[in-house]
Amino acid sequence: MNRIKSNCVSAKNTLNRLHASDALLRVNRGQIYESMSTKLMTRFNDRAQSNHLDTKALVGATTSYGTALATFRTNYQSYEEQLSNALRIDCTKEPAAFYDAVASARSKRSQVHDDVTVLHRHIDDYTAAFAQFASDHKDQGASN
Amino acid sequence: MDDHVTVEPAKELSFWDEHRYLLLIAIVIAIALVLVGISMTLYVTSGAAQLDLSRPGYRSVSSQAINNDSEFKNYSSTGPINNDSIAEFKALYEKQAASAKAVDAFNGDPLNPDTLEISAQAIQQ
Repeated sequence: MNRIKSNCVSAKNTLNRLHASDALLRVNRGQIYESMSTKLMTRFNDRAQSNHLDTKALVGATTSYGTALATFRTNYQSYEEQLSNALRIDCTKEPAAFYDAVASARSKRSQVHDDVTVLHRHIDDYTAAFAQFASDHKDQGASN
Repeated sequence: MDDHVTVEPAKELSFWDEHRYLLLIAIVIAIALVLVGISMTLYVTSGAAQLDLSRPGYRSVSSQAINNDSEFKNYSSTGPINNDSIAEFKALYEKQAASAKAVDAFNGDPLNPDTLEISAQAIQQ
């Protein structure tokens, strides 16, 4: 307890810096993740569909990616709210509550990192689906 | 001809007739408060708050936010699918996929109690 109280200012400064740097990461990485879907995947699927080509695998990969992106958004929001809660606690008066809040934020941050890993995997899944599509289409003569 | 003019007795004004401007202002303020409440609820629950780097505490990093992603080219959703369009998409996608995966975001364990020097062992002392 005494250790938390004595390191309260230093811990809060670290949390404040992390809060800001994670927000920046969320904005910048989130923008790229959104664009992967809206500017590339969905557009290519639409183009292939308008050419009456089989896009089942591509659409499936895009849908999975979209679901993973929504999970990432939700989990980041939950993490940010928890970290904000921890920052609002006066750790000199409520050291145990502060410790618990930080522990919960830590677990939620770890979940966000897992979500990022899943997103990267779905990007690879789409790459594989696209490679198959390109290969199939090449076999058909790419005459459209 | 009858030159008499009939004058109606002045009707007594009610409390709300006398204070209708106050009532109007009170209603306008109440509507504004309700709309602000709805806006703030949407701002917080939609996740927009997490993306707002103009909030206090984020000013130190707001200048580093990417405001212009024009480098991220849109792929055209219309046109034929042929070897050229496939190659064009492949080049665009590979470039952006590499960029998206270049950063292992939110890795590490900065909230570890040992790192923050608030370890459980210390709490139990």
